[in-house]
Amino acid sequence: MRYVVGAVGVLAGLYGAWELLRVGLANLLAAVWWLAGGVIVHDGFVGPALLVAAVVVMAVVPSRVRGPVVAGLVVLGTVTVTAVPVLTRFGARADNPTLLDRNYTVGWLVFAVLVVAATGVGVARRLREPAAADGVDVVREPHDER
Amino acid sequence: MMALRPPRESDFTSHLRSPAVAARVGTVLGICFGLCFLTGLVSHWSQDPNPWFFVPTRPTWGYRLTQGLHVASGTAAIPLLLIKLWTVYPKLFAETPWRDLRRLVLTGLERASIGVLVAAGVFELATGLLNTTQWYPWQFHFRATHYAVGWLAVGSLLVHVAVKLPIIRDAWRSDVESTAQDRPTTAVASSGITRRGLVVTAYLSAAVAVVASAGSTVPLLRRVSVFGVRSGGGPQGVPINKSARAARVTALATSADYALELVNGDRTVRLTVAELVALPRHTSGLPIACVEGWSAHGTWDGVRMRDLMDMVGRPAGADVVVRSLQPSGPYRATLLPHSFVEDDLTLLATHLDGERLSLDHGFPCRVIAPNRPGVLQTKWVHRLEVRA
Repeated sequence: MRYVVGAVGVLAGLYGAWELLRVGLANLLAAVWWLAGGVIVHDGFVGPALLVAAVVVMAVVPSRVRGPVVAGLVVLGTVTVTAVPVLTRFGARADNPTLLDRNYTVGWLVFAVLVVAATGVGVARRLREPAAADGVDVVREPHDER
Repeated sequence: MMALRPPRESDFTSHLRSPAVAARVGTVLGICFGLCFLTGLVSHWSQDPNPWFFVPTRPTWGYRLTQGLHVASGTAAIPLLLIKLWTVYPKLFAETPWRDLRRLVLTGLERASIGVLVAAGVFELATGLLNTTQWYPWQFHFRATHYAVGWLAVGSLLVHVAVKLPIIRDAWRSDVESTAQDRPTTAVASSGITRRGLVVTAYLSAAVAVVASAGSTVPLLRRVSVFGVRSGGGPQGVPINKSARAARVTALATSADYALELVNGDRTVRLTVAELVALPRHTSGLPIACVEGWSAHGTWDGVRMRDLMDMVGRPAGADVVVRSLQPSGPYRATLLPHSFVEDDLTLLATHLDGERLSLDHGFPCRVIAPNRPGVLQTKWVHRLEVRA
């Protein structure tokens, strides 16, 4: 079963590569930047930036309320990424007012306020719980891997 | 002072970076990719007529549904992919087994497949998202490249699932908080959000991203979709994809010399706008649905395509080539398969919402057919030819 799935995957991938080559060399060279770019931007910038963000959250937010705060930040951050093209409006055209026809900045503020409010409710509930519910930082001793 | 060195997989200790989380987020992400891929194929094949993919004329809202799902599943995949990549980020720094050739080759192949998957996955989501707003900051051909890389993404995803299947299965069989599958240096308990909390947050983020954008195609969500690319409004109640000005047809479409040509071999019938509008009209309530994920319902009036083509004696089963006044662009000539030509609902529309078509909706006349990609609902039509 695993081998069948894997083999189908290899065939589908090869077909995709062939289709990509078929469009032409100039097209491929233009696309390569966007293909490699996603990996470079994520692994080189987003990953490390999130490490820094985690350090900041750990330092600033008490462990007791960290759960709802992190959940709120994740929703806010990831959904905002999906809104980048509408917030920046690079696709807007003067001759077509039916495209990007909302005030997205106000929309984002409403969305952010709702997320902050929901997070606030979560934080308030945590604070009312007994202190015993506090998370504890427990790290296993690193094993020798050999 | 601490010596600087590259990070190792064992340096990452978060309780949340575990296969228990990765498998749960990844499974839903995989389903989104699969749905996005299949609905993408539907669109691709609907646009390029080919002998082995028959596009039915029903349901009339088929293209609207599949392309709404295409954009919704792609949008949902963005938060899921970001969270999934976060949970497996330590793997990027995993040790390379330089001394064991067999393991080295296998690890190399697996890493290559992951590289293709991340590159293709991010590419598809990023270019697709930008395409919904008609933002094209690149030189490559969007449609052909998005299609090819879609196959790359799904192919490498299937390889990834095949490699990880035992881990995925074990993860789903144990509790999300179980540490059985964790790396040795993973913290045994959370110091903040729980694993269950993160998984639920991932699903919630995906759902919020969909609700915040799907109003472009789901009328009920219009008011809450604060990031919808179109609110659904426009001249005569329907949005526009390409304006007459952008298509450079304004002068041609409003010219007094305009005439619609119906052609079958050496038979040609020419109709002035007045003659066209005087023909018996029918009404079709049909959606205009774009691959960019927006759609809107319109009430169209016009002459049935079948009746028009009968005027030049189109034989049963013959397709029709539709030519637009547009001086350039890939959709200035499109093929209307005979099943659509013969359908009662297919019109050469002259009216929308009880009024003459506006210039941006395709004045003097446009094609409107059921279950068709919006780009093939050709506007500013000036010639209909029976294909030999």
